[in-house]
Amino acid sequence: MPEEEPPSAFTPTRRTVLKAGAAATAIPLWPREASADSTVPMSLRVNGKVYEQVLEPRVTLLDALRERIGLTGTKKGCDRGECGACTVHVDGRRIKSCLTLAVMQQNREITTVEGLAGGELHPVQAAFLRRDGFQCGFCTPGQVMSAVACVAEGHAGSDDEIREWMSGNLCRCGCYPNIVAAVRDAAEELS
Amino acid sequence: MSPSPIGRPLTRVDGVAKVTGAARYAADADVAGVTHAVLVTSTIARGRVSALETAAARSAPGVLGVFTHLTMPRLTVPGPTAAYFKRFLPVQDDVVRHAGQPVAVVVAETLEQARYAATLLRVSYEAEVPRVVLADSMADAYVPPPGNDGPNDYLRGDVAAGFAAADVVVETTCTTPLQHHNALEPSATVAEWTGDRLTVHESTQGIGNSQNALMQAFGLPRENVRVVTPFVGGGFGAKGPVWPHTVLAAAVARQVGRPVKLVLTRADTYTSNGHRAETHQVLRVGATRDGGLTAIEHVVTQQVSRTEEALFNSSEPTRMLYACPNVRSTQRAVRLDLPTGSFVRSPEAATSHALESALDELSHALGVDPVELRLRNWSDTNQETGVRHGSNHLRECYEEGARRFGWSNRDPRPGSMRDGGELVGLGMATAAHTAGGRPGSGATVTIGLDGTATIRSGTQEIGTGTSTVMAQVGAEVLGLPAHHVVFALGDTDYPPAFASAASATVPSVGSGVVRAATAAREQVVAAAVADVGGPLHGVPPDRVGTADGYLFVADQPRRRVSYRDVVRRRGTPVEVTSNPVPVPLGYSVGAVFVEVRVDPVTGRVRVRRVVGVFDPGRVLNRQTVRSQAIGGAVWGIGFTLTEHTLVDPHLGRVVTPNLSGYLVPVNADVPDIDVGFVDRPDPASPALGARGFGETPMTGVTAAIGNAVHHAIGHRIRDLPITQDKVIAALSAQN
Repeated sequence: MPEEEPPSAFTPTRRTVLKAGAAATAIPLWPREASADSTVPMSLRVNGKVYEQVLEPRVTLLDALRERIGLTGTKKGCDRGECGACTVHVDGRRIKSCLTLAVMQQNREITTVEGLAGGELHPVQAAFLRRDGFQCGFCTPGQVMSAVACVAEGHAGSDDEIREWMSGNLCRCGCYPNIVAAVRDAAEELS
Repeated sequence: MSPSPIGRPLTRVDGVAKVTGAARYAADADVAGVTHAVLVTSTIARGRVSALETAAARSAPGVLGVFTHLTMPRLTVPGPTAAYFKRFLPVQDDVVRHAGQPVAVVVAETLEQARYAATLLRVSYEAEVPRVVLADSMADAYVPPPGNDGPNDYLRGDVAAGFAAADVVVETTCTTPLQHHNALEPSATVAEWTGDRLTVHESTQGIGNSQNALMQAFGLPRENVRVVTPFVGGGFGAKGPVWPHTVLAAAVARQVGRPVKLVLTRADTYTSNGHRAETHQVLRVGATRDGGLTAIEHVVTQQVSRTEEALFNSSEPTRMLYACPNVRSTQRAVRLDLPTGSFVRSPEAATSHALESALDELSHALGVDPVELRLRNWSDTNQETGVRHGSNHLRECYEEGARRFGWSNRDPRPGSMRDGGELVGLGMATAAHTAGGRPGSGATVTIGLDGTATIRSGTQEIGTGTSTVMAQVGAEVLGLPAHHVVFALGDTDYPPAFASAASATVPSVGSGVVRAATAAREQVVAAAVADVGGPLHGVPPDRVGTADGYLFVADQPRRRVSYRDVVRRRGTPVEVTSNPVPVPLGYSVGAVFVEVRVDPVTGRVRVRRVVGVFDPGRVLNRQTVRSQAIGGAVWGIGFTLTEHTLVDPHLGRVVTPNLSGYLVPVNADVPDIDVGFVDRPDPASPALGARGFGETPMTGVTAAIGNAVHHAIGHRIRDLPITQDKVIAALSAQN
């Protein structure tokens, strides 16, 4: 975990915890009691835009992005934090969006692959394209988001370091050497 | 003039969509009012469903339907013409044929509601004791009738006489484990009915197969079933055949009267779309003192399910690759209470591993260098069919690979090379895989009034670069810049194409594009030479060249006219559709060299270097073909060192149905991979000299790693994967 990041990016503040707790009280203690109206309003800020949603608290951030907000760039490969295809940034930190509930991520800056490029490709995206850092493309949004963070964290200092810090993102087409080359290129360009 | 569009490392045409998240895969389809389905799967491996309690699930919030074998409408089991191999559809009767078989489908407004309701279903079973361990059932092995690759008992020459003539005979037994594809995209189906017309957004390597299966299941005419697949998030054989979830999703969508999305969970994928069946292989190889092969006998025994007996691990390398007059190959099946297998990337990899490992043992027994041994037995002819290869540059692959790798620096004595505390091993093997020999594909080429071309074919983009490479092929034949050609795929409204499988896309779809583009070009040339006011008027058509968007007189390149002007003056777009023509069997080959480091304390094996030099015929796109070779090497690393699906021997359940128990290689497992190509056209190829290639580069890597481990530690580990416990046990036994 990078040490230079501000604590606020990592540690849930007391206020956030209280908020999450308040939301959680809407969940019946025993799921068998769940009813159709066990939803809570929530506000998600994704790629600079606010999405007001009324969702069950059990909706993961990944499913909220894909199935409710319609941002399908973020992918579901395993739904249990093992593959990295669902990687997004929350307050600049890379997380697996299948392992967090949407209700927990209110009032944070969520960035998905759709929010990375402005008028032109982000240098990491351009490097993936140039280096053929993908084949089927399914893991690519997660790889790209992870790579942006990897460079920002300062974990792209050598090929071995890149390999290590990109190992949370599986690529079954087996593009790893090209991904390493892309991250290396982007790190040079962004330094 | 611009260079030819062929061969260049053209960046993928769909690359921007993939790096920005704009590429829409099956589960990303934007279908209004879509509902969500979840499978309830069997917890027993053999028996029957004795009772179902569905009331709680049916009354759960948001639930639109709970479908069991008692309530699901009767469906017709699709046949082999739809590449449906399973021979039964679940949720049609009370029989349980393997663990993880769907026994119910729950549909609800949201995914969370469907998933929760599925937990409320109570299923009772009458369980029987399953048999799931191959080693315990070897006595039940039998030779099934001819299957995917012909007869399962093959003989040429006189094997007994061949062994009698041998100076040295090596006999080995090896096993390869149950493995799963684990494409990052789990299979997904979004089914939408409009009256009796069905549209399916499907994660498939063969939209035509899916269409056929759905037509058969529901008794619908072709025009009533449309399958759309713009992108596939990896297939590797999991999505080549058609599996039950596709039919079940469409069935429940019809029942609830709403579109339904069914995305398999990662755990579902371990029992829903096939696997690489476990094998047990016995291989005997005989040779003369100088290394000439005199006989090979190969008996491979593999798991099949209770409902079918197709064998997906083919012994083709043993039958086809090396010059050996006396060969017997027997492929046996053992029925177990496990799901039906499937093709998995490079289906010949399991048998190739056995053959290439045995050749390494033979090289040690003879004292002949492994490269020399293979050169000694090289053949330019497919040894099974007797047909001479259109081209085969395998000898150059050995030589160039050995040079790049520094093979001559290897001390052949096992255990002789060290670096600090680590044992160093260098190994090599031949890469070889059939490519093509499958049905052909059609394509429609349309040249618009703007002079650009659109090519349509009902093929799929599974990541191999089909959209990019087929645009290059069309551009080459037409004489257009590559960026003036758009290749559209993934829609059954387009001309039919063979599945994206069997290394067949380049020859199958490629030749369809070549035929349609050739005919379209002829029409444009005919229009140009018939155009009275045009610069090419009266020129014999065979003297007209095309390149870079222009038509020109062959020996007067300045006398030219643009595609755009010709088609515009013609007044109507040019459109030609080619019909499918079966493609010949190709054989793509290469040589792979691997360096491993073994930590003698922990037993950990790390692949340090891979060098692969391949002959894929003509290289169509240097970047995409290189990526396929790298991908094959990564698969070889997983196959040999980490991947095995564990099944509980008593319950018959997969106990590693995830990506933390089943270890696919991660970035840190993969070293630099040096890839080279001979790049010379195969005259027998119907696709501009290019052969299919995708499955070749994984072969060779597996045995090269195993041979390198033997070279490092002086002990051969014959049961894959080569895990740390086995290495430590081998090293302990020596000491």
